[in-house]
Amino acid sequence: MSDLRVRNPGWAGNTGEFDLTEEQVRGDDFVGTRPVEGGHPAATPSYAYMRAERDPEAPLFEGPYAERFEKLLTRYPEKRAALLPTLALAQEVRGHVSPETMARVAELLDLPDAYVRGVTSFYTMYNKREVGRFLIQVCTNISCNLCGADDVLEAFLSTTDTELGEISKDGDFTVVEAECLAACGFPTCVQINSRYYENVTPADVPNILDRLKERGE
Amino acid sequence: MSQSTPQANGNDAAVETVTLTIDGREVTVPKGTTVLKAAESVGTEVPHYCFHEGLSSPAMCRLCLVEVEGAPKLQPSCVTQAQDGQVVRTQGDQALRQRRGVLEFYLVNHPLDCPICDQSGECHLQDYVHEEGRDHGRSREPKRVFGRDDFGGDVLFYGDRCVMCTRCVRFMNEVEQDPRLTVVERGNRSVIDTFFEEGLDGTHWSGNVVDICPVGALVSKDFLYKQRAWDLDHTPSICPSCSQGCNISLHTRDNLVQRLKPRKNLDVNGHWMCDHGRHRYEFMNRPDRLTEPLTGRGTARTPSSASRGWRAALTDVVDRARSLAEGGRGGRVMAVMSPNASNEDIGALVEVVDALGGGDVVYRMARADDEIVLKGYPSLARRRDLAANGHGAELLGATRVGDDDATGGLEAVADHDGIVIVLGDELDDQGEDFGRAAALYLYLGAHPSEAATHADAVLPTTTFAEQEGTFTNIQGRVQRFRQGLRAPGSARPAWLILGAVAAELSGRETAPTSAEEAFDALAGRTNALAGLTWDGLGSRGALVNETVPLAGD
Repeated sequence: MSDLRVRNPGWAGNTGEFDLTEEQVRGDDFVGTRPVEGGHPAATPSYAYMRAERDPEAPLFEGPYAERFEKLLTRYPEKRAALLPTLALAQEVRGHVSPETMARVAELLDLPDAYVRGVTSFYTMYNKREVGRFLIQVCTNISCNLCGADDVLEAFLSTTDTELGEISKDGDFTVVEAECLAACGFPTCVQINSRYYENVTPADVPNILDRLKERGE
Repeated sequence: MSQSTPQANGNDAAVETVTLTIDGREVTVPKGTTVLKAAESVGTEVPHYCFHEGLSSPAMCRLCLVEVEGAPKLQPSCVTQAQDGQVVRTQGDQALRQRRGVLEFYLVNHPLDCPICDQSGECHLQDYVHEEGRDHGRSREPKRVFGRDDFGGDVLFYGDRCVMCTRCVRFMNEVEQDPRLTVVERGNRSVIDTFFEEGLDGTHWSGNVVDICPVGALVSKDFLYKQRAWDLDHTPSICPSCSQGCNISLHTRDNLVQRLKPRKNLDVNGHWMCDHGRHRYEFMNRPDRLTEPLTGRGTARTPSSASRGWRAALTDVVDRARSLAEGGRGGRVMAVMSPNASNEDIGALVEVVDALGGGDVVYRMARADDEIVLKGYPSLARRRDLAANGHGAELLGATRVGDDDATGGLEAVADHDGIVIVLGDELDDQGEDFGRAAALYLYLGAHPSEAATHADAVLPTTTFAEQEGTFTNIQGRVQRFRQGLRAPGSARPAWLILGAVAAELSGRETAPTSAEEAFDALAGRTNALAGLTWDGLGSRGALVNETVPLAGD
């Protein structure tokens, strides 16, 4: 615990609001597949939230997801405002936001189909196509680029044997370029699902990929 | 433009005004007017894309920025309200420099394909860059390319030419209220699109997005590569396709109507027109025309029979009609007219019928099942009556017969043994026996018809596009249309032909020689039109002072 406190000076301590320790928040407790009921709100940013059942044909929404959707609606004064979290929830269920998914979300929220398409396509964190189990986003914006992001990207592509945006044969990896991930102090930054890998060099790439497969994050 | 000043409203007391200075000129406008409109009222056009009078203003094109004294930054004039004492400079150094910069950005990915672009000549990007842009672009980057997308209906989208003003998106959202268009993607990759393959099929007003597109991004498939914009003559006219009476422009070249565009009239159609009317113009270009006046029974069967000219033809008609009427053999006159005849035409027809001892004037008009209302401008609709002047016909004493396809209802006329007059109705559903029993059968029309076989006189008339006149729309608004095409051969407006006949029959010295005279004479003898004058119709039309229930309502 004490070691952790030193490593993470930003930890505010237990405020009493949630019964969580730093270990639970900072550590591996919440890493992995997000629980279907949504999990604890304080831990939400730690989840690899895109990795739920990933059935592109899964119904929108039923079971615990239906409950979460209903809960979402109560948070906003109008249905339209719930569009972004609803799309995120749909992506959690189906793995990506297909045209059919957009149409279904539009139906659920009484919005025009075209509007939902416009919103979905605006944001890069909605996958418009299917992606692998691990979505590897390599920052190629200026700081990372100056520090060799192109080589890191190339290393990810050759090690996973894919083209940009393609799913690897084992279904595990999709490598894409990302614009600035706001970690310019630690180039090259790579975001894999919802976790950051900083100071990545081409030499780190095989290790990272092996560890991912092993742990199955 | 000057209508927006309170002086023109003649109602100074009711409208609160503000006075500001624009480019050194004092301007007084009603409170709430935007700086852009205020500048327009003194003849200064501030460049703009996203602003359109009929739509909301998102102030996102950043082209209408002007200097306002006291403001720390340039202000978007399309949403900045005019204030008392404001000093605005639209042509200041800062404003000009910034507009030049914005225009340069617009051209970064623009293909500059003006030579093959339909919008060329009426393109705001072309105009503004020409006026205020840089001579040369400085971008050395490759341009991103979208190519073109078929939106369905009549609309074709060239993504590379788009300036992302989103007028089309807002039109579909706010005015047609069928929000099918949206901005897809973001930044450099933004593009206007529908929900994947949905397209604009099945919409009724989407042609307007082509009109409001300030550049060549949305173009009409019908007009694609047909004519250059600068070759077209624009003639103010009235849409003949339904009783709404939308104000339109006939765009003509080579004596053919090339396309129809809506013309602003806030009392009738705002800035819009429906696709139904927009694409029904080919009938004005029909080549099968009657060109010479012919007289003598069965004359239509032998079109080669030499015409003896209008004087001989009308003398012949008048002599025969007079002898029938005097001999008491004329009976009641049966007249069939087209609901697309102008008020002047109908008035002259009624006058002839009255001069011959009276009779029945009937018209046949197609009716659609439903109105197609423009939701964001509910006073505008594609009306059920599919002809321009049904209301005018009713006001002038004609009666509607036949069914909703404009057929039937003429049994009494077809076998009438007195005088039969046909004006404009092509009688498509009547056989060549029509009018065989008539003592005198006059056929006035633009196109040959089988039912004119037994006509004693075939008199060629102009179409509405080839003459001046007025229509009365569903609100009872009398509106002028002007001549856009030359009439073929000796075709003449029906009011001229029938006016001369009526004058001769009633022994008057003079007959109207212009539509203006015909209208003023008609207004003078018709209660419904009393008080209206040709000059008083102006550009927005004038309401008749009595209305009649329309047939079928």
